[in-house]
Amino acid sequence: MEAKDLYIKPGNQERGWNDPPQFSYGLQTAAQGAPKRTPLNKRVPPPQLTGSPCPVPGDFPSATAPMTPPTNPLAPPCSMNTPPRPCPVAAPPLGGVMATPPPPFPVVEHTDSASSQSENEPDVDDVVTLLNWALTACRHTVKKQVCNDVAKRLKLFEDMWKSGKLSLPVRRRMIGLVQELKSCNWDAADEIHRALIVDHVNEVGQWMVGVKRLIAETRNLNPDLLHTQEVDQSLDTSSAGNSD
Amino acid sequence: MATYQEFIQQNEDRDGVRFSWNLWPSSRLEATRLVVPVSCLFTPLKERPDLPPVQYEPVLCSRANCKAVLNPLCQVDYRAKIWACNFCFQRNPFPPSYAGISDVNQPAELMPQFSTIEYIVQRSPPNPLIFLYVVDTCLEEEDLQALKESLQMSLSLLPPNALVGLITFGRMVQVHELSCEGIAKSYVFRGTKELSSKQIQEMLGLTNPSASGPQGRPAAPQDPAVTCRFLQPVHKVDMNLTDLLGELQRDPWPVPQGKRPLRSTGIALSIAVGLLEGTFPNTGARVMMFMGGPPTQGPGMVVGDELKTPIRSWHDITKDNARHLKKATKYYDALANRAAVNGHSIDIYACALDQTGLLEMKCLSNLTGGHIAMGDSFNTSLFKQTFQRVFSKDHNGEFRMAFGGTLEVKASRELKVSGAIGPCVSLNTKGPCISENEVGVGGTTQWKICSLSPSTTLALYFEVVNQHNAPIPQGGRGAVQFVTQYQHSNTQRRIRVTTVARNWADAQSQIQHIESSFDQEASAVIMARLGVFRAESEEGPDVLRWLDRQLIRLCQKFGQFNKDDPTSFKLSETLSLYPQFMFHLRRSPFLQVFNNSPDECSYYRHHFVRQDLTQSLIMIQPILYSYSFHGPPEPVLLDSGSILPDRILLMDTFFQLVIYHGETIAQWRKAGYQEQPEYENFKHLLVAPVDDAQEILQTRFPMPRYIDTEHGGSQARFLLSKVNPSQTHNNLYSWGQETGAPILTDDVSLQVFMDHLKKLAVSSAA
Repeated sequence: MEAKDLYIKPGNQERGWNDPPQFSYGLQTAAQGAPKRTPLNKRVPPPQLTGSPCPVPGDFPSATAPMTPPTNPLAPPCSMNTPPRPCPVAAPPLGGVMATPPPPFPVVEHTDSASSQSENEPDVDDVVTLLNWALTACRHTVKKQVCNDVAKRLKLFEDMWKSGKLSLPVRRRMIGLVQELKSCNWDAADEIHRALIVDHVNEVGQWMVGVKRLIAETRNLNPDLLHTQEVDQSLDTSSAGNSD
Repeated sequence: MATYQEFIQQNEDRDGVRFSWNLWPSSRLEATRLVVPVSCLFTPLKERPDLPPVQYEPVLCSRANCKAVLNPLCQVDYRAKIWACNFCFQRNPFPPSYAGISDVNQPAELMPQFSTIEYIVQRSPPNPLIFLYVVDTCLEEEDLQALKESLQMSLSLLPPNALVGLITFGRMVQVHELSCEGIAKSYVFRGTKELSSKQIQEMLGLTNPSASGPQGRPAAPQDPAVTCRFLQPVHKVDMNLTDLLGELQRDPWPVPQGKRPLRSTGIALSIAVGLLEGTFPNTGARVMMFMGGPPTQGPGMVVGDELKTPIRSWHDITKDNARHLKKATKYYDALANRAAVNGHSIDIYACALDQTGLLEMKCLSNLTGGHIAMGDSFNTSLFKQTFQRVFSKDHNGEFRMAFGGTLEVKASRELKVSGAIGPCVSLNTKGPCISENEVGVGGTTQWKICSLSPSTTLALYFEVVNQHNAPIPQGGRGAVQFVTQYQHSNTQRRIRVTTVARNWADAQSQIQHIESSFDQEASAVIMARLGVFRAESEEGPDVLRWLDRQLIRLCQKFGQFNKDDPTSFKLSETLSLYPQFMFHLRRSPFLQVFNNSPDECSYYRHHFVRQDLTQSLIMIQPILYSYSFHGPPEPVLLDSGSILPDRILLMDTFFQLVIYHGETIAQWRKAGYQEQPEYENFKHLLVAPVDDAQEILQTRFPMPRYIDTEHGGSQARFLLSKVNPSQTHNNLYSWGQETGAPILTDDVSLQVFMDHLKKLAVSSAA
């Protein structure tokens, strides 16, 4: 899972009050089972029972909070070190204005303009070729109806790509998926399909199930079927060589 | 005491058990004088990544009414190959396969570190898991679209061999046939006509009418290919089902002005339960119901279709003005029990701005171990991620959810089982271990938990039955064994056995030792569950009075004080947090219905009586951490005095994560100092609580709300309503505390509460 695929988006504040942020599939799966960095589970007993002043158990290092009071003389000012701009501390709080806090999480904006062709722009034909390679191999043993259904969805995927309806992360990850497919890394391909459908269901929902099925059927094939003559031919006839 | 704390923690880590007392009083009379009963919190499927399951059947005691499992507490004669049951003392021969054991070659189940051990048993061919979606189509377009997408996505998250089915409902109820080819067909039912299970199965063509069995019992189903028309393997029908879901439309019946859509939730559920009953009884199955509003027609309706009649509030309920409440609750209760008997669980995903009837429907999930998720809309991250997390996997890449659980408890003869409180139903098994004093779900030593997760936790209550002044039982220890049978998500059947023991102690001579063995955290949750259980059937003020009485008695028993001198009152460290827990419990949404709708209370209580200890404590008394320039983040008193201008507070109530910026911090943030490189310290300070909150947000189920607020912000009320109001408008100038934010409330503060408690505890007129 690439670092780009570990992201957090803000929640839908229009539909749900205090909607929590949305974690990408990669972040959620990474978090499961991982030990907590700073378990927040300590409490403080009230002073009047133990008779002692409120104890302050202090050893909870956080990676980001400063360990010692800042020695940096330019820390947010108190009324002494007023920088040459209106210092809000000295004055009473601004009346009546509650500033809407900006979304606190680092929001990774996707470059959704699919039409911009950059140097590393993934080529749809590469992807389609590999998918069709797998589908051709499947046609030997898998029911015709199923193969046709898969083909229909692959076509839809191709059309959506060509008409610029798929965002860059989706296109990029599909390249990754077909690479795994080609290398027979079925679990890895499956995991990418899952990540894609969780993170981008509105773009991929209609056709991704075809890819899912393709992976499932291809992995069950006799390995010999994956390299029959007609299959290799379909790979050779692809336009603009595969980037290997 | 440090040693007991370590002991308690080690036991929880290994066995998933936390007892209220870790030294047991040896007589019934003394046990009742301890106020908090001998009881425990038990997490049957606690995650144990270090515990490999063994691939053989457990060895059982041969006595018919015992059948305890061989465990490390048993005495073993390796020469004669005989073991003595530690519960009934029966001597049992080892099975032939154990011929090679010796004291240097012990089977795992005899080793002390395997006090918890898991067996994989394969007695019959594995059954696939079943997921039956029941989907409300009376949703706004945007919501329906979001829900459809989530359902399509979930097909990729299901276990590959699982069976899946789809029922949609609105005014009518449609059961969809999931064939692999041809035109999609569905069976339509009227949303108002109640049908018996048998009728439903007949109408769906699941039985052969001419070969009906004895009266009242469904006829034998035809071969699986026919009966499974509605429940098909997901790997076969995923493409068709994706299309079917994509084509779902809003309920076509127009909704007139001033009316609610006609929603036949009751019939839809009855068909779901009946379908599963007839085709897959006693198999792990999950009904997942998605609804965007309350049931408005047919049996189980919660409110009528006139918008001018609002859905019942607490006020309506206390004034006996909730027309449909009793009938609807009874209806869903019956459905819940039928599902539980068959081992089927029911989840409710309710997303709407108004109430949806969780009060009436909660038993569907509470009795079966299913989930309840409550949100504002299906197009929110809260719903989407909560739903995704139902399918979360553990470190082995296996699903966390488990099915068809049964828990049996065995105990030494000096203990009897009073009952359990948690997401379970009684299996009504009779036996020698059952106490006549029922607590929670009692009258049995076996319960059914149709759906489990690694955090599912039951509270179990025991009664010490030894007579006063009877000698301490031979061996000095009492034991309890928990046997949990369940279906793992990989369809294997497993048995997990946990056997624990604690020493008996004579309360008259060893009361201080018993006191030091007190687990105040476990006891707080155990008593809280009792309180919540009572609150379901008793009046609110009665429950609070009961809770107060228990607290006063506990303080009288264990407090150090001079009679009639409240200022002399002290509690030892092992009890120092307990009164505070009780104070916050009294104010919590679990026992206080003020400010929460009936549905919200049902939702909060649902989660409270099934979570593990740590999460339950968070719900009772939220965690509050303070972030500042003065040092690393530290826990602070949940008190108004902790609200300071130069601090950021992170509050975790389990259902909400609140980050509150003190006045000065808020001003700095608004002025944008964090953007400037020379104020990088400040930027780090702002980010620290966000990062800590993120860790919690990433894994918690259900997904909590996330509130970023500041001094003077309207959302700050979430923090202000939880903290102890030590400074209010009433005592602002008399308290003597110079810092902290006063809270506008007439609620009693912890200080006042403690003062009253001390007065009552030391009073000789008890």
